[in-house]
Amino acid sequence: MSEGSRPDPQDAPGPDAVSGQSGGASRRQMLRLGAAAGAVVLTVRPGIAQAATSVLSCEIPVPDPARASQAVAPDGTMVPKGSTGAFPGGRTFTGEQVRTGLRGGNLPGTSYEESQAYLNYVRRLQHGRSGFTCYASLMMPR
Amino acid sequence: MDATYRAEPPDQIIRENLGAIDALYHRRSGATHLVAAPVPQILDALAEGPADLDGLMARLAARFDLGEGGDAARQALGERLAELVALGLVRDDRPAD
Repeated sequence: MSEGSRPDPQDAPGPDAVSGQSGGASRRQMLRLGAAAGAVVLTVRPGIAQAATSVLSCEIPVPDPARASQAVAPDGTMVPKGSTGAFPGGRTFTGEQVRTGLRGGNLPGTSYEESQAYLNYVRRLQHGRSGFTCYASLMMPR
Repeated sequence: MDATYRAEPPDQIIRENLGAIDALYHRRSGATHLVAAPVPQILDALAEGPADLDGLMARLAARFDLGEGGDAARQALGERLAELVALGLVRDDRPAD
């Protein structure tokens, strides 16, 4: 215990690198203004950060509006309304709900079979159909 | 003819030192810039107040060993400032006619 002999912090010699202090001209840091030109700045655009949240809040209509008059068969294909075993659709799920479903959960407000039919529909989504971009971004590795 | 360079207002930039690089979050653009030397040093020098190229050179030369010859360093500083202006982290006020 040396409580009595503790030096005043202001008088204590600081660590070797008292950088950033002006006035100490004896050992000035080297600063290369021209070195590594063009490689000194890396910019993270706001879109990258937003993409992560939009993936979870984007929406996938089941089925897409152009096929709203049809029903969804258990394998995800579109069949005429009233077909045996088909589900009516007319639902819209968020990216997060679909992601949970693809991991084995149920889509909200659906039975297991209905959920599987809708998820099969989502898996069959093709470019140009409503919800495809949302599904594609769910599948993107992050 | 010389432009006067001006730092962004301090409240527009959140700065976090990450060792060899600094992360700058720029509120106005919403962009985050990861910057390495000499950018933080230039921004620090400019934060003291608006300056033209020569004035800023003098501030940096008082603080650092700039190594290169005067003209080369001055030209390099002008290039760095142009990059910072393009990013929106520095403004250059051309004298009005």
